[in-house]
Amino acid sequence: MSEEKKMGPGATLVATVIAFLVVTAVFYGLDHFIMSIQGLPLNMDLTPAS
Amino acid sequence: MNLFNKVMVFSVGLTLVFTLVANLLPQVEGEAPVEKQVDIASLTMDDFVAMGESLFANKGTCTLCHKPPPLGRAPDIEGVDMVAVSVKRLADPRYQGGATDAAGYILESMVDPGNFVVAGWGKKGSNDTESPMPAIDKAPIQLSAMEMDAIIAWLQAKDGNEVTVSLPSPEAAAQVADASGAESGSAPMAAATAEEALTKYACTGCHSLDSNEALVGPGLLNVGGRMTPEQIRQSIVDPNAVLSEGFAAAMPTDFATKMTVSELELIVGRLAEKKQ
Amino acid sequence: MIDKNPGLSFWNRYKVSIWIFFLLMLTAGVIGASQGFSAEGSGVSERIAPIGRVHIAGQPFVEFEGASGESQEPELVAAPRPTRKDYPDIGVSSRALVWILAQMHLFFGALVLAVPLFVLVIELTGVITGDDRYDDMAHEFMKISLVGFSITAIIGGSLALALFALYPDLMAYLMHVFGAQWLVYAGLFFLESFFLYTYYYGWNAFRYGNKKWLHLTLGLMLNASGLTIMVLANSWATFMMAPSGVNEVGAVVGNIWEVMKGPLWNPINLHRFIANIAFGGAVVGAYAAFKFLSTRDPKLRAHYDWMGYTSNFIAILAFLPLPFAGYWLMAEIYAYSQQMGITAMGGILAWLFIVQAVLIGTILLAGNFYLWSGMSRTEGSVRYQWLIKYIAVVLVISFLIWVTPHTLILSAREMAAMGGSHHHILGPLGIMPAKNVAVNLMLVVTFLSFQIYRRSDKVATVSWAPAGNALMVAIYAVAIVNIIFAGVYYGYFTNTVYKVGSSVMQVASTLVVIIAGIVIDSLMFRNARTLPSHWGKISDRSQYALFALPIAFTWLMGLMGYVRSSVKTHWHVYTVMKDNSPENYIPTIGYAGNMITLVTLLFLVCVLFMFWVANLSSTRQSRPEELEGSVG
Repeated sequence: MSEEKKMGPGATLVATVIAFLVVTAVFYGLDHFIMSIQGLPLNMDLTPAS
Repeated sequence: MNLFNKVMVFSVGLTLVFTLVANLLPQVEGEAPVEKQVDIASLTMDDFVAMGESLFANKGTCTLCHKPPPLGRAPDIEGVDMVAVSVKRLADPRYQGGATDAAGYILESMVDPGNFVVAGWGKKGSNDTESPMPAIDKAPIQLSAMEMDAIIAWLQAKDGNEVTVSLPSPEAAAQVADASGAESGSAPMAAATAEEALTKYACTGCHSLDSNEALVGPGLLNVGGRMTPEQIRQSIVDPNAVLSEGFAAAMPTDFATKMTVSELELIVGRLAEKKQ
Repeated sequence: MIDKNPGLSFWNRYKVSIWIFFLLMLTAGVIGASQGFSAEGSGVSERIAPIGRVHIAGQPFVEFEGASGESQEPELVAAPRPTRKDYPDIGVSSRALVWILAQMHLFFGALVLAVPLFVLVIELTGVITGDDRYDDMAHEFMKISLVGFSITAIIGGSLALALFALYPDLMAYLMHVFGAQWLVYAGLFFLESFFLYTYYYGWNAFRYGNKKWLHLTLGLMLNASGLTIMVLANSWATFMMAPSGVNEVGAVVGNIWEVMKGPLWNPINLHRFIANIAFGGAVVGAYAAFKFLSTRDPKLRAHYDWMGYTSNFIAILAFLPLPFAGYWLMAEIYAYSQQMGITAMGGILAWLFIVQAVLIGTILLAGNFYLWSGMSRTEGSVRYQWLIKYIAVVLVISFLIWVTPHTLILSAREMAAMGGSHHHILGPLGIMPAKNVAVNLMLVVTFLSFQIYRRSDKVATVSWAPAGNALMVAIYAVAIVNIIFAGVYYGYFTNTVYKVGSSVMQVASTLVVIIAGIVIDSLMFRNARTLPSHWGKISDRSQYALFALPIAFTWLMGLMGYVRSSVKTHWHVYTVMKDNSPENYIPTIGYAGNMITLVTLLFLVCVLFMFWVANLSSTRQSRPEELEGSVG
């Protein structure tokens, strides 16, 4: 499996962190989009809308 | 045990497991509503109220949605005094209906639920202007006027209020019977001609067809010359999209849901011919 | 799984694209023709367009052709109102008889619709890869389902007979509403038979070169006629659930297209189409598993292992999007009639979804177990084996949450016994948001099983593989967090509108995982180094998963048929024609379960017969005297 490691450990860590940040941002945008097309807000301040 | 038997035992055994699960669950049968023959002569108000309670839970299917919070998909009814609530609703500035007392309000809520939508319970996205409730005098529930009266009687009686609806008189019962007997023949049919359609939707109540005189709405004598058929169709299904100069938005906006497609086409076709 | 891939020659590539072009033209032609058929010379597109959309400003308006409405209007005849004595009494339950025949017809119809569909795809794969094993397997799939076409037709005929004899008024009304449509149906049936026999018996005659493309076209036409038959038949079922093209009393006011195109037609079409593929894959998988177990020959075992794997692959892949199609169907049912939706999901039928959960749980556990067992075929799987126990834990916990009973209509006595309308511990787990979390997590981890299985015989060679892996891990992690967050936060702390709204978020998260997984892996494992796999090297026990799948699928189909038909309650045609037969009530879940078991076992017997006949064709008895000679 040596050919799998073409990036150093540091680079892999950076890639992981970036991947998580990007994916989180994408999902946040997706959630916003999905709620907005249904005419609902996405409350991130955790105050339940009644 | 040979392979075939092993596979069969496995397959049939698995099938029986599923059968067992189905048989372990509570066994409920969904009875079809039975048309009850009510003996008017011997009916007391207590019977009438009991009949209303039964209708509420069974034939009326009200309890599917009207349940105590937080279960309900519609406002709670059993847990509150509906007479007091109705009086409050009638005083609400948002109330647009024509009822003057609690019984009238309750009846109106049953046959025309969109008339007053309780805040928070409207159709999703309609901002409480549309009610998700079906009109219960129409299919599939189809309660008769007498049955709705029975429900009102129960709603009044259950919280100790005075029952204001009267027991069905023999004449009323006879009328109900007539209506249901005639139902097969005279139930709303789709109009077959343009004239029938124009009458059915009472177009001539506001529009003059043979002059350009303005009644409530513009005259339609040469409407086919002023507008294309597409514009006519738009003016019927969405009357407020383009308003004729000098007219207020007074035309009903629900023709799109009331008319059948063929009725709409009949009307549009007839108006489009009016070119002069 | 493709050890020898000779690649695609330029000429082959050229032919593939020509064929696909031809296919597109054909599709366009069929769509055009069907519109021409339904138009009947009137401005059909404006008549079928939802009224509210006709007038959108700025859009080009459809040419208006004047309304000479009277001439098109047939005389208005209301739906019949049969009384109880109008239903013939034959001594046994009419409903049970029709139930059995209809369900058997659906089982076989689903099977013979699905098999040609994936046979065609496998055959095309064989042409593209140049690997004859695909072609042989496709041929074998056709062979074992061939008798199914006749069985479908025989049962279908019996069903029609039973319906006309036992429900004359309903059938007369439906014939009146659908008019000449049955002629089209019968015509299509002849077309399908023609293409079926030329496709199957021409297999070896049109095997290579240009003739192969002729053969593929025959297969395509077989599928086209079969699918058209399905959507026509679906329109009858959806008309009975949500009638369109008729007025309040059932008189026909629209043309045949308006009658067919009811609000539930397309959701049912999609749902049945996908489910048929999953069902067909599961049934032929059982055949492969039985053949695998009944031989010790390593070559045959390798062949049938591969066949079983492919069948399972088809079944699970088609199964994954099925909940979303079901979600659409249920949403359309709610939009059509809230009352009908509640009858299905919250009324007396609600317990049924516990049984459904048991069945889907069985399917997912069996499918996952088979994938994990299959990882023993390749040495590369050790890299992923540690994940299996976590997947198993998530599956089991989610399954338990799913079968927790939720909001039901309780009697006062039951409520008192439980101390409220909800159990204090089970209550919070029993409501829909918790179940949505569980279902979505089960789908996500099943896809994970699938993905690690696909990866287990490959080593990525692209330079960005670690980054790609990091991205995939991040997508899984964030999607799972998002599914749980949406379920818990919106499900428990806000009102109903948000619960429904946030369930879309969960579904979208699951879809993102599936789509991203397929895209990333197909890019990352391009030109990957493949590790050796050993077909046939799989435990005998794993094959029982391939028997569990079709049994659970068959039972599940029967169960969903029960709910689909029951939501009409006491109506033949909802709101239009009342059911006044002695059996116009919804039977209990136990009774339905017994009926479903009966039809499942009947189906099992018929399928065994079908497989037996298929094997007869390749069996040849020796001449008696030769046998005597060899013995003597």
